[in-house]
Amino acid sequence: MLMTYLHVDMDAFFASVEQHDHPELRGQPVVIGAQPDQRGVVAAASYEAREYGIHSAMPSREAGERCPHAVFLPPNGKRYGEVSRQIMGIFERFTPYVEQLSVDEAFLDVTGAQRLLGTGREIAAKIKDTVKGETGLTASVGVAVNKFLAKLASDMDKPDGLTVVPNSKQEIITFLAPLPVGRIWGVGKVTQNLLESKGIRTVGDLQETPERLLSALVGKHSARHLHRLAFGEDEREIETEREEKSISKEHTFLHDTSDREAVRHTLLGLVDDVGRRLRESGKLAGVARLKIRWKGFKTITRQRTLNHPCRDDFSLREIATELFMTEELVKPVRLIGFGVSGLTDRASRQLGLFDDISDRSKREQLSRAVDDIRREHGSKSIGRGSGASQ
Amino acid sequence: MKLKVTKATLLEGLHIVQNVVGVRSTLPILSNVLLTAEENKLWLTTTDLEVSVRCGIEADIEQDGMSTLPARRLSSIVRELPDATINVEIDKNDVASVECGSSYFKIIGLSNEEFPPVSNPEEKHCYNMDQGVFREMLKKTAYAASSDETRFVLNGVLLSFREGKLTMVATDGRRLALVESEVEFPDEAEGDMILPTKAVSELLHVLGEEGDLKIYAKENQIVFEFDDVLLASKLIDGTYPNYRQVIPTQCEERVTVEREVLLTALKRASLLTTDKSSATKLTFNDNQLVVVTTSPDVGEARETLAIKYTGKEITVAFNAEYMMDPLRNLSNDEIFVELTDDLSPGVIKCDIPFLYVLMPMRIS
Repeated sequence: MLMTYLHVDMDAFFASVEQHDHPELRGQPVVIGAQPDQRGVVAAASYEAREYGIHSAMPSREAGERCPHAVFLPPNGKRYGEVSRQIMGIFERFTPYVEQLSVDEAFLDVTGAQRLLGTGREIAAKIKDTVKGETGLTASVGVAVNKFLAKLASDMDKPDGLTVVPNSKQEIITFLAPLPVGRIWGVGKVTQNLLESKGIRTVGDLQETPERLLSALVGKHSARHLHRLAFGEDEREIETEREEKSISKEHTFLHDTSDREAVRHTLLGLVDDVGRRLRESGKLAGVARLKIRWKGFKTITRQRTLNHPCRDDFSLREIATELFMTEELVKPVRLIGFGVSGLTDRASRQLGLFDDISDRSKREQLSRAVDDIRREHGSKSIGRGSGASQ
Repeated sequence: MKLKVTKATLLEGLHIVQNVVGVRSTLPILSNVLLTAEENKLWLTTTDLEVSVRCGIEADIEQDGMSTLPARRLSSIVRELPDATINVEIDKNDVASVECGSSYFKIIGLSNEEFPPVSNPEEKHCYNMDQGVFREMLKKTAYAASSDETRFVLNGVLLSFREGKLTMVATDGRRLALVESEVEFPDEAEGDMILPTKAVSELLHVLGEEGDLKIYAKENQIVFEFDDVLLASKLIDGTYPNYRQVIPTQCEERVTVEREVLLTALKRASLLTTDKSSATKLTFNDNQLVVVTTSPDVGEARETLAIKYTGKEITVAFNAEYMMDPLRNLSNDEIFVELTDDLSPGVIKCDIPFLYVLMPMRIS
């Protein structure tokens, strides 16, 4: 089946958010990053600032010299994160297959959604409209049969662009031919120089270079990769977090130990770590799994399906403790591990008759608060009053 | 042991008892049916140590005795025999000769000494009911029981004999079915017991449409006696959750819906549910009920039903299977759906003492 991928890339994201939040900045060159009189670089520049040749990663001092009247703002990561989540939420209304690449870009597999929502171009237009309507920001979208082409396409007509790469093999080859080789995914400065030294400057040149000649230049594996991409072939699928099957963490003891309390203490530390990552993923765990490797490498796993998917440390610690307590330490422990799987979304979650929802959401809120404190002040900054006893 | 029995009678008896026999029993004796011949009755008994069923059939007993034979094998043999009288003779080594017309089978059994003892009705508390009524009550609730073994108290149906009635409840924590019927019993016989799912399905298999049913209960054991059948089961040891607290005492909107029409609409809409999206949305608005299932990879189903409704617009998502279960097991033409909002439980009622509480699905 012919796939349809979208690559959505927000236009000058950080700067656009600032310009949207502060209307007085609209139409002005805005630079996000260090102040021009300080050490540091540009994180993002508005299109107005780009006209002065300012781009990200440029030292702020240089940006200040190029455009002395530019407005320099420190990055407001929290705000960008908020808007980013809002935008990703919009994407998820169109398809569950969203692969977030960074704070401001994502791949969307809309192959299935087309049957409900129209062609790739129509969906792309709707997404642009929705994002514009709900956040006031513009995005550039590329539509193509694979991720590689979609990403190239989103960059063709920035800002506020919408580029559809044709489906037919010949048209794809023609589309790619004039692009510089540096645009190919995986071609960095070194490879680019190497290729250009042999007169391969465009993707078209690459298309005409036999694979064995390329092999001599960049190695067999890379040659194959480059050649496929030069003809627009890319079979990578969307890697949604949704497809993340499990989250786990293990600890190998320096010395095998039979100290039950020590093992349990370590286990609970692992549980907190898994819990934090689980909460970050936005998922709920359906299954908890304990892993013990005895001295001599024999390994056991014990797992339990949870009655209610959860993601708070309290519930996870309870289950981990239960699983651990039912195991006798028949030998010294070499490794202990804890993991969760059966990850589900809150979306379309069956509510329970006997759930104490308020209690569970409180547990989760508390766990999240602990996450925040640890993120801010380090992992040892906060712990249970009773040590690791529960 | 020596007896004559007609094929039809023996087959009927075996049909009643053979369900209990597991396909793979850990103990060989549990694959066998205990045969007890006495006073012109042949008693057939099977057990899986949790549930046992005994059934008496008419037979011409020439010589009393007890033995056991492999239940499923015996049943398949009898099924294929001609419609005639079967002669059964079992020797002291538990080897049976089964003759019918020109057919002859020798079947090797096991000693009845090995067969676990089966409990008899013991008079602690006895409740008298009608088989058909009890069966209907089971049918209207049993589907809501949980099969999650970690919640073992929910792996059955609650029988609560209180205040002159039997309240039967089953829940899996997501939905709850409750039905009531008046029963006469003395005050001291008030009590709650949890009947395991296995016993429930056996009862649904063997209870008749009508006729007396005696229920004997003691601490951890319950015995049902009807016609010539005795069904004994262990009770689930545990405290049933306080189901009263999850039954909404009020609602904001009450809608009358034709049961068959809603069931048909849900059946169609549920054709598009997948593992990932099992929710079906119901929107009640302006004399219309719209039932929608949307699955990103599959498509969308939409059913529009004309109903009498002038309340506020409510959209609520349910698991369509959970919504269909009670509708399939009721026979009323009309049902009442009570709703408050998208996160509050929905309630299905009808003009009999029946109640179904269903938690919605949260969709974002």
